Amino acid sequence: MAGKGVITPQKDRSDLIVRLQEAQQRYGYVPEEVIRALADSLNIPVHEVYGVASFYSFLSTRPLGRNVIRVCKSLPCYLKSAEMIMEAVQKELGIGLGETTPDGRFTFQLTNCIGLCDHAPAMLINQDTHVDLTPEKIKQILKSYQ
Amino acid sequence: MPQKRVVLKNCEVIDPKRIDSHLESGGFKALSKARGEMTPEQITNEVKASGLRGRGGAGFPCGIKWDGARTAPGANKYVICNADEGEVGTFKDRYILEKDPFTLIEGILIAGQAIGAKQGYIYLRAEYHYLLDHLQSAIDQAKQKGFLNGFSLEIREGVGAYICGEESALMDSIEGKRGEARYRPPFPTTSGLWGQPTIINNVETLMNIPPIILNGADWFSQMGTERSKGTKVFSVSGDVARPGVYEIVLGSPLRELVEELAMAKDVKMVQIGGATGRILPYDKLDTPLAFEAVLGAGAVTVYNESRDVIDIVHRTMEFLAEESCGKCTPCRQGTEVMAEVLDKFHKGEGSLKELQNLEALSSAMMLSSLCGLGQAAPNAVMDSLQYFRNDYESRVAK
Amino acid sequence: MENKINLTINGKEVTGRPGMTILEVARDNGIDIPTLCYIQDLPPIGACRLCVVEVEGSRTLVGSCHTPVAEGMAIQTHSPKVIATRKVLVELMLASHPDACLICDKANICELRRIAADLEIGLPRFRTRKHYFPVEDENTDMVRDMSKCVQCRRCVIACKSKGDEPLFGMAYRGFDSKVIHGYDQPLGSEACEDCDACIDICPSGALRKPRRAGEERAAKALIIKG
Repeated sequence: MAGKGVITPQKDRSDLIVRLQEAQQRYGYVPEEVIRALADSLNIPVHEVYGVASFYSFLSTRPLGRNVIRVCKSLPCYLKSAEMIMEAVQKELGIGLGETTPDGRFTFQLTNCIGLCDHAPAMLINQDTHVDLTPEKIKQILKSYQ
Repeated sequence: MPQKRVVLKNCEVIDPKRIDSHLESGGFKALSKARGEMTPEQITNEVKASGLRGRGGAGFPCGIKWDGARTAPGANKYVICNADEGEVGTFKDRYILEKDPFTLIEGILIAGQAIGAKQGYIYLRAEYHYLLDHLQSAIDQAKQKGFLNGFSLEIREGVGAYICGEESALMDSIEGKRGEARYRPPFPTTSGLWGQPTIINNVETLMNIPPIILNGADWFSQMGTERSKGTKVFSVSGDVARPGVYEIVLGSPLRELVEELAMAKDVKMVQIGGATGRILPYDKLDTPLAFEAVLGAGAVTVYNESRDVIDIVHRTMEFLAEESCGKCTPCRQGTEVMAEVLDKFHKGEGSLKELQNLEALSSAMMLSSLCGLGQAAPNAVMDSLQYFRNDYESRVAK
Repeated sequence: MENKINLTINGKEVTGRPGMTILEVARDNGIDIPTLCYIQDLPPIGACRLCVVEVEGSRTLVGSCHTPVAEGMAIQTHSPKVIATRKVLVELMLASHPDACLICDKANICELRRIAADLEIGLPRFRTRKHYFPVEDENTDMVRDMSKCVQCRRCVIACKSKGDEPLFGMAYRGFDSKVIHGYDQPLGSEACEDCDACIDICPSGALRKPRRAGEERAAKALIIKG
């Protein structure tokens, strides 16, 4: 018989992502304890919560810096020399891709298209947008994040 | 032909922060008409007659979708507005959400009226978090003015996954799950969110609804081509002098958008529809922008003569490999194979055999993938092989 | 009589009942369609895509394990297009699979291998990076070697259907997707209760019974025909 796949009918199961987002906001990542506690409270297996948390790019199961820099690497930004922006960020912070500064202030990541292609190159720091970037602007922008 | 503003008619005209400004320019009149003078069937018939097709890329006839959900049995039907604009090079929905959230809300409410839904969601991509408060304020103002009339409209935020722009993955994400594609049937119109009849429409699709209801299907269907009615909003970026959002009548040639409006020079090729879109070389620039030819969600990325085709196709495939949900074999494995093969060509280490294999692989991915991502993933490879085969052959290891 | 659905499979007129899938009707009529994720009596998964068939009027091929039959359908289960696609699909699974059949416990009872042989696949045309995961052999009832997993999800759904807290779920995304246990940790010694439901249906060497001292391998030594 053509089934509907496996669906848990309870509606509160849909809170899972919202609560993972809350944890990400509050702790800067989704700690293992939160994953286990959510599994407990929603009465679903740990692997299901971890499976959701590990699927989405804006959730991290590892601690990140207080400020997460996401420089767009998709084509419209690439055409506008996004790689110079990446270099400028790394030089300014002295860290490589995916790394966090020793003081925990910044984590440097790349991201796929963030929909700011008309103002490329662009990046997100936390949830703020920064557009029409030049390597010269980077220092000043980073200064405003503590 | 200049721009034609149907979808964007209020953008930069009204104050998107104040509903009164919107009301002064005729806002919510279509909703009053739909609620006061029309039956749900009349609404869906009007949309059907307009010929409006989905603006998110797939181009499914909107009225048929609505009618499916309207006539499907189900106590709790849902309207979902897909604001998970993730296609590379697309930003038109961002512009619309910023500049005219009220018309969108009106479109959602008319959709709810048409299918008999009491609840709706706007699925907003995580990258647009900065629009959340703005959008919520617009909903709150509409509610205060009594326009929601018992309809519950909630914003759900994405969490960073391109695949969640695909309707079945989007619903899984709202249900709190991994955003994986579902097989169909059942289609969302009969069994969507929580198994209930659901319509999922792109932001731009819903923006077309109020003007259609207000001005009638005939007015709308005068614009465009045989199978592509109305206008389309394009996001133009890349090697152009004037990147931005442009609305033109469907069927207009690509050249008009790229050379006249965005003022591109020395064009080598254009990618239409983002990572899953088509690639056209300069000598195809007179191709009409329509569902019959090329369209997608309206991302137009322009590349000039200095650009390397293989580099671009490789980056396109890397994107798709990163964003594949991983559920079905052809997409999960196929995008990875392609990304690795293209990397070799990019480094000048390809082989003719691999070129042939790419063609067999493309065909299998198009034919057997579970959703649009995997089915359209080979487009850039196939098109570039057709138009720029020399670029591949020159990268074969000697 | 109105409960019958008339259709043709490979040109032959057959009938099905409402709710039956293409695969069920085909199998009822003695037509063999390969499946790697579908398991009878469990909900269809639709992940492996091996069961795709050609349905007249459809732009793409359709998964037969999850698509219900409809009146007037004209289906081809073994057309050149279908066979070519199935070949690519199996080659894609093999692309990241370890080249370790000679020393694998599943060896010649391996479903993946059998299907590859049925489709006359020799050396796969595609290659990707491999997944390297340590073999999980703490559990006394099951050995997991996730580097051999083809992500059919049978174990996920079979365990779930048993009703107790299921052992496995999917994690990560895309090519890095993986069937995990708990917080992506090795299967501990106490984890499962020896029902073998997942081991019996694993189509590759990813799940197997531990071999006890003195016990023979489940599979006989490979005989390679020259």
